[in-house]
Amino acid sequence: MLTMLEEVVLLAVDEKTGQLRSTREFGTAYALVGAVFFDLALAKKIDTDTETIHIIDTGSTGNATLDRVLANMAKHPKLTTVRAWIEELFLQRDDLEGEALASLIKQGILRHEVSKLLWIIDVERFPMVNNQHQQLAKLRLARAIVTDEIPDTRDIMLVSIADQCGLLPYVLSASELSNRRDRIQMLSNLETISRKVTDAILNLDATVRHAMTKVV
Amino acid sequence: MIEVTQETKSDWCVVAISGRADAEAADQLESSLRAAIDTHAKVAANLADVDYISSAGLRAIIQAARAAQAKHATFVVCSLTPSVKKVFDMSGMHHIMRIQGGLPC
Repeated sequence: MLTMLEEVVLLAVDEKTGQLRSTREFGTAYALVGAVFFDLALAKKIDTDTETIHIIDTGSTGNATLDRVLANMAKHPKLTTVRAWIEELFLQRDDLEGEALASLIKQGILRHEVSKLLWIIDVERFPMVNNQHQQLAKLRLARAIVTDEIPDTRDIMLVSIADQCGLLPYVLSASELSNRRDRIQMLSNLETISRKVTDAILNLDATVRHAMTKVV
Repeated sequence: MIEVTQETKSDWCVVAISGRADAEAADQLESSLRAAIDTHAKVAANLADVDYISSAGLRAIIQAARAAQAKHATFVVCSLTPSVKKVFDMSGMHHIMRIQGGLPC
Protein backbone atom coordinates (compact mmCIF):
# COMPACT_ATOMS: atom_id res chain seq x y z
CA MET A 1 0.00 0.00 0.00
CA LEU A 2 1.23 3.49 -0.84
CA THR A 3 1.84 5.99 1.93
CA MET A 4 -0.42 9.03 2.18
CA LEU A 5 2.51 11.17 1.04
CA GLU A 6 3.05 8.98 -2.04
CA GLU A 7 -0.67 8.98 -2.88
CA VAL A 8 -0.92 12.77 -2.75
CA VAL A 9 2.21 13.27 -4.86
CA LEU A 10 0.93 10.68 -7.33
CA LEU A 11 -2.36 12.59 -7.59
CA ALA A 12 -0.31 15.67 -8.53
CA VAL A 13 1.13 13.92 -11.61
CA ASP A 14 -0.70 14.76 -14.83
CA GLU A 15 -1.40 11.32 -16.29
CA LYS A 16 -1.28 12.64 -19.87
CA THR A 17 1.93 14.66 -19.74
CA GLY A 18 3.75 13.29 -16.69
CA GLN A 19 4.23 16.83 -15.41
CA LEU A 20 3.67 17.78 -11.79
CA ARG A 21 0.69 19.99 -11.10
CA SER A 22 1.79 22.55 -8.59
CA THR A 23 -0.99 24.97 -7.89
CA ARG A 24 -0.22 26.19 -4.39
CA GLU A 25 3.49 25.96 -3.67
CA PHE A 26 3.55 26.84 0.03
CA GLY A 27 0.13 25.37 0.74
CA THR A 28 1.30 22.12 -0.83
CA ALA A 29 4.47 22.13 1.27
CA TYR A 30 2.39 22.40 4.44
CA ALA A 31 -0.05 19.77 3.23
CA LEU A 32 2.77 17.29 2.49
CA VAL A 33 3.98 17.71 6.08
CA GLY A 34 0.40 16.90 7.11
CA ALA A 35 0.51 13.79 4.92
CA VAL A 36 3.65 12.59 6.72
CA PHE A 37 1.93 13.07 10.09
CA PHE A 38 -1.06 11.10 8.83
CA ASP A 39 1.30 8.32 7.72
CA LEU A 40 2.92 8.27 11.15
CA ALA A 41 -0.52 8.20 12.80
CA LEU A 42 -1.68 5.33 10.57
CA ALA A 43 1.54 3.46 11.42
CA LYS A 44 0.67 4.01 15.12
CA LYS A 45 3.86 5.95 15.73
CA ILE A 46 2.23 9.24 16.81
CA ASP A 47 -1.10 10.32 18.19
CA THR A 48 -2.65 13.79 18.47
CA ASP A 49 -5.37 15.50 20.43
CA THR A 50 -6.84 18.93 19.83
CA GLU A 51 -3.47 20.67 20.19
CA THR A 52 -0.62 18.32 21.04
CA ILE A 53 1.25 15.58 19.27
CA HIS A 54 2.64 12.54 21.10
CA ILE A 55 5.21 10.03 19.98
CA ILE A 56 4.04 6.58 21.00
CA ASP A 57 6.61 4.37 19.27
CA THR A 58 10.00 5.29 17.81
CA GLY A 59 10.48 1.93 16.07
CA SER A 60 11.03 1.82 12.31
CA THR A 61 8.06 2.17 9.95
CA GLY A 62 10.04 0.61 7.09
CA ASN A 63 9.85 3.90 5.17
CA ALA A 64 12.97 6.09 5.16
CA THR A 65 11.12 9.43 5.01
CA LEU A 66 8.77 8.58 7.87
CA ASP A 67 11.61 7.15 9.96
CA ARG A 68 13.68 10.31 9.47
CA VAL A 69 10.81 12.58 10.52
CA LEU A 70 10.04 10.36 13.50
CA ALA A 71 13.69 10.35 14.64
CA ASN A 72 13.76 14.13 14.25
CA MET A 73 10.64 14.47 16.40
CA ALA A 74 12.09 12.21 19.09
CA LYS A 75 15.11 14.51 19.34
CA HIS A 76 12.93 17.53 20.18
CA PRO A 77 10.70 16.55 23.10
CA LYS A 78 10.03 20.20 23.97
CA LEU A 79 8.20 20.74 20.69
CA THR A 80 4.79 19.36 21.60
CA THR A 81 2.06 21.00 19.55
CA VAL A 82 0.84 19.85 16.16
CA ARG A 83 1.09 23.40 14.83
CA ALA A 84 4.69 23.84 16.03
CA TRP A 85 5.73 20.60 14.33
CA ILE A 86 4.02 21.55 11.08
CA GLU A 87 5.93 24.86 11.08
CA GLU A 88 9.20 23.15 12.08
CA LEU A 89 9.07 20.59 9.27
CA PHE A 90 7.93 23.25 6.80
CA LEU A 91 10.96 25.39 7.68
CA GLN A 92 13.34 22.44 7.31
CA ARG A 93 12.26 22.35 3.64
CA ASP A 94 12.92 18.65 3.23
CA ASP A 95 12.19 17.51 -0.30
CA LEU A 96 9.18 15.39 0.69
CA GLU A 97 7.81 15.58 -2.86
CA GLY A 98 11.13 14.41 -4.34
CA GLU A 99 11.40 11.53 -1.89
CA ALA A 100 7.86 10.38 -2.68
CA LEU A 101 8.55 10.60 -6.43
CA ALA A 102 11.73 8.52 -6.00
CA SER A 103 9.76 5.89 -4.10
CA LEU A 104 7.01 5.81 -6.76
CA ILE A 105 9.67 5.32 -9.46
CA LYS A 106 11.30 2.53 -7.43
CA GLN A 107 7.90 0.83 -7.08
CA GLY A 108 7.43 0.89 -10.87
CA ILE A 109 4.47 3.30 -10.80
CA LEU A 110 6.23 6.26 -12.45
CA ARG A 111 9.32 6.70 -14.57
CA HIS A 112 11.65 9.70 -14.68
CA GLU A 113 12.36 11.63 -17.87
CA VAL A 114 14.44 14.75 -18.35
CA SER A 115 14.22 16.81 -21.53
CA LYS A 116 15.65 20.17 -22.53
CA LEU A 117 13.67 23.35 -22.97
CA LEU A 118 15.39 25.73 -25.42
CA TRP A 119 18.43 23.38 -25.32
CA ILE A 120 19.33 24.67 -21.85
CA ILE A 121 16.70 24.22 -19.16
CA ASP A 122 16.09 20.72 -17.81
CA VAL A 123 12.42 19.80 -17.74
CA GLU A 124 11.51 16.84 -15.56
CA ARG A 125 8.52 14.64 -16.25
CA PHE A 126 7.17 11.57 -14.47
CA PRO A 127 5.06 9.57 -16.94
CA MET A 128 2.84 6.83 -15.53
CA VAL A 129 4.05 3.27 -15.91
CA ASN A 130 1.05 1.93 -14.00
CA ASN A 131 -1.92 4.28 -13.56
CA GLN A 132 -4.03 1.93 -11.42
CA HIS A 133 -2.90 3.51 -8.14
CA GLN A 134 -3.80 7.02 -9.28
CA GLN A 135 -7.16 5.89 -10.69
CA LEU A 136 -8.00 4.11 -7.46
CA ALA A 137 -7.05 7.13 -5.36
CA LYS A 138 -9.26 9.34 -7.57
CA LEU A 139 -12.16 6.91 -7.23
CA ARG A 140 -11.80 6.84 -3.44
CA LEU A 141 -11.70 10.64 -3.31
CA ALA A 142 -14.75 10.98 -5.56
CA ARG A 143 -16.72 8.46 -3.53
CA ALA A 144 -15.79 10.09 -0.22
CA ILE A 145 -16.90 13.50 -1.49
CA VAL A 146 -19.91 12.76 -3.69
CA THR A 147 -21.70 10.20 -1.50
CA ASP A 148 -22.98 10.71 2.04
CA GLU A 149 -21.36 7.51 3.29
CA ILE A 150 -18.92 7.70 6.19
CA PRO A 151 -15.54 7.28 4.45
CA ASP A 152 -12.68 5.15 5.67
CA THR A 153 -10.43 7.24 7.93
CA ARG A 154 -7.61 6.99 5.38
CA ASP A 155 -9.89 8.50 2.72
CA ILE A 156 -10.93 11.30 5.10
CA MET A 157 -7.24 12.16 5.44
CA LEU A 158 -6.72 11.99 1.67
CA VAL A 159 -9.64 14.36 0.98
CA SER A 160 -8.20 16.99 3.32
CA ILE A 161 -4.64 16.78 1.99
CA ALA A 162 -5.73 16.72 -1.68
CA ASP A 163 -7.92 19.77 -1.03
CA GLN A 164 -5.10 21.68 0.65
CA CYS A 165 -2.83 20.84 -2.30
CA GLY A 166 -5.46 22.14 -4.75
CA LEU A 167 -5.76 18.71 -6.42
CA LEU A 168 -9.51 18.11 -6.18
CA PRO A 169 -10.26 19.95 -9.48
CA TYR A 170 -8.38 17.09 -11.20
CA VAL A 171 -10.75 14.58 -9.62
CA LEU A 172 -14.19 16.22 -9.81
CA SER A 173 -15.80 18.90 -11.98
CA ALA A 174 -16.10 22.48 -10.78
CA SER A 175 -19.84 22.11 -10.28
CA GLU A 176 -19.44 18.87 -8.31
CA LEU A 177 -16.84 20.53 -6.09
CA SER A 178 -19.00 23.59 -5.62
CA ASN A 179 -22.02 21.47 -4.68
CA ARG A 180 -19.96 19.39 -2.22
CA ARG A 181 -17.79 22.15 -0.68
CA ASP A 182 -19.54 21.80 2.70
CA ARG A 183 -18.92 18.05 2.67
CA ILE A 184 -15.21 18.57 1.86
CA GLN A 185 -14.87 21.06 4.72
CA MET A 186 -16.75 18.78 7.09
CA LEU A 187 -14.47 15.82 6.28
CA SER A 188 -11.32 17.97 6.51
CA ASN A 189 -12.40 19.29 9.90
CA LEU A 190 -12.61 15.80 11.42
CA GLU A 191 -8.83 15.50 11.83
CA THR A 192 -6.70 17.69 14.12
CA ILE A 193 -3.76 17.48 11.70
CA SER A 194 -5.92 18.81 8.84
CA ARG A 195 -7.25 21.65 10.97
CA LYS A 196 -3.74 22.68 11.97
CA VAL A 197 -2.42 22.48 8.39
CA THR A 198 -5.33 24.71 7.30
CA ASP A 199 -4.49 27.17 10.11
CA ALA A 200 -0.84 27.24 8.98
CA ILE A 201 -1.83 27.88 5.35
CA LEU A 202 -4.29 30.63 6.32
CA ASN A 203 -1.65 32.25 8.53
CA LEU A 204 0.87 32.13 5.70
CA ASP A 205 -1.66 33.64 3.27
CA ALA A 206 -2.39 36.44 5.75
CA THR A 207 1.34 37.08 6.23
CA VAL A 208 1.92 37.23 2.47
CA ARG A 209 -1.07 39.57 2.02
CA HIS A 210 0.24 41.81 4.80
CA ALA A 211 3.71 41.90 3.21
CA MET A 212 2.23 42.67 -0.21
CA THR A 213 0.17 45.51 1.25
CA LYS A 214 3.31 47.03 2.78
CA VAL A 215 5.15 46.78 -0.54
CA VAL A 216 2.29 48.46 -2.42
CA MET B 1 -5.98 1.63 28.59
CA ILE B 2 -9.74 1.16 28.44
CA GLU B 3 -12.18 -1.26 29.94
CA VAL B 4 -15.15 -2.37 27.90
CA THR B 5 -18.35 -3.98 29.12
CA GLN B 6 -21.41 -4.92 27.11
CA GLU B 7 -25.02 -5.38 28.13
CA THR B 8 -28.37 -5.62 26.38
CA LYS B 9 -31.16 -3.22 27.39
CA SER B 10 -34.50 -3.44 25.58
CA ASP B 11 -33.38 -4.00 21.99
CA TRP B 12 -30.15 -2.01 22.42
CA CYS B 13 -26.65 -3.34 22.91
CA VAL B 14 -24.89 -0.86 25.20
CA VAL B 15 -21.11 -0.91 25.02
CA ALA B 16 -19.75 0.95 28.04
CA ILE B 17 -16.19 2.21 27.75
CA SER B 18 -14.05 3.59 30.55
CA GLY B 19 -10.55 5.05 30.63
CA ARG B 20 -8.39 6.83 28.05
CA ALA B 21 -9.41 6.33 24.42
CA ASP B 22 -6.00 6.94 22.86
CA ALA B 23 -3.76 5.19 20.32
CA GLU B 24 -2.98 2.40 22.76
CA ALA B 25 -6.67 1.67 23.24
CA ALA B 26 -7.92 2.41 19.70
CA ASP B 27 -7.77 -1.15 18.35
CA GLN B 28 -9.63 -2.54 21.36
CA LEU B 29 -12.20 0.25 21.14
CA GLU B 30 -12.87 -0.33 17.45
CA SER B 31 -12.99 -4.13 17.70
CA SER B 32 -15.36 -4.02 20.70
CA LEU B 33 -17.76 -1.71 18.90
CA ARG B 34 -17.53 -3.66 15.66
CA ALA B 35 -18.24 -6.93 17.47
CA ALA B 36 -21.39 -5.39 18.95
CA ILE B 37 -22.44 -3.98 15.56
CA ASP B 38 -21.90 -7.39 13.92
CA THR B 39 -24.41 -9.01 16.26
CA HIS B 40 -26.95 -6.27 17.07
CA ALA B 41 -29.18 -3.94 15.05
CA LYS B 42 -28.94 -1.13 17.63
CA VAL B 43 -25.69 -0.27 19.39
CA ALA B 44 -25.00 2.55 21.86
CA ALA B 45 -21.44 3.47 22.77
CA ASN B 46 -21.59 4.80 26.32
CA LEU B 47 -18.62 7.13 26.86
CA ALA B 48 -19.69 8.40 30.30
CA ASP B 49 -16.47 7.10 31.84
CA VAL B 50 -14.07 8.13 29.09
CA ASP B 51 -12.01 11.02 30.41
CA TYR B 52 -9.77 11.55 27.36
CA ILE B 53 -10.03 10.86 23.65
CA SER B 54 -7.29 11.37 21.06
CA SER B 55 -7.42 11.42 17.27
CA ALA B 56 -6.78 7.67 17.23
CA GLY B 57 -9.76 7.16 19.54
CA LEU B 58 -11.96 9.32 17.31
CA ARG B 59 -10.87 7.32 14.27
CA ALA B 60 -11.82 4.08 16.02
CA ILE B 61 -15.34 5.47 16.62
CA ILE B 62 -15.59 6.74 13.03
CA GLN B 63 -14.65 3.28 11.76
CA ALA B 64 -17.31 1.72 13.99
CA ALA B 65 -19.93 4.21 12.75
CA ARG B 66 -18.88 3.36 9.19
CA ALA B 67 -19.33 -0.36 9.88
CA ALA B 68 -22.79 0.31 11.34
CA GLN B 69 -23.79 2.38 8.30
CA ALA B 70 -22.65 -0.39 5.94
CA LYS B 71 -24.73 -2.91 7.90
CA HIS B 72 -27.74 -0.54 8.19
CA ALA B 73 -27.46 -0.80 11.97
CA THR B 74 -28.30 2.06 14.32
CA PHE B 75 -25.23 3.42 16.11
CA VAL B 76 -25.38 6.09 18.80
CA VAL B 77 -22.59 7.66 20.85
CA CYS B 78 -23.86 8.90 24.19
CA SER B 79 -23.11 10.42 27.59
CA LEU B 80 -19.97 12.31 26.63
CA THR B 81 -17.95 13.87 29.43
CA PRO B 82 -17.28 17.62 28.99
CA SER B 83 -13.66 17.09 27.88
CA VAL B 84 -14.63 14.43 25.33
CA LYS B 85 -17.62 16.48 24.14
CA LYS B 86 -15.26 19.38 23.45
CA VAL B 87 -13.17 17.15 21.16
CA PHE B 88 -16.27 15.80 19.40
CA ASP B 89 -17.62 19.34 18.90
CA MET B 90 -14.31 20.64 17.58
CA SER B 91 -14.12 17.79 15.05
CA GLY B 92 -17.76 18.08 14.00
CA MET B 93 -18.41 14.40 14.70
CA HIS B 94 -22.16 15.13 14.91
CA HIS B 95 -22.14 15.59 11.12
CA ILE B 96 -21.42 11.91 10.53
CA MET B 97 -22.95 10.12 13.51
CA ARG B 98 -25.73 10.36 16.06
CA ILE B 99 -24.59 11.77 19.40
CA GLN B 100 -26.90 12.22 22.39
CA GLY B 101 -26.72 13.23 26.02
CA GLY B 102 -28.00 10.06 27.64
CA LEU B 103 -28.54 6.40 26.85
CA PRO B 104 -31.25 5.71 24.27
CA CYS B 105 -32.78 2.98 26.42
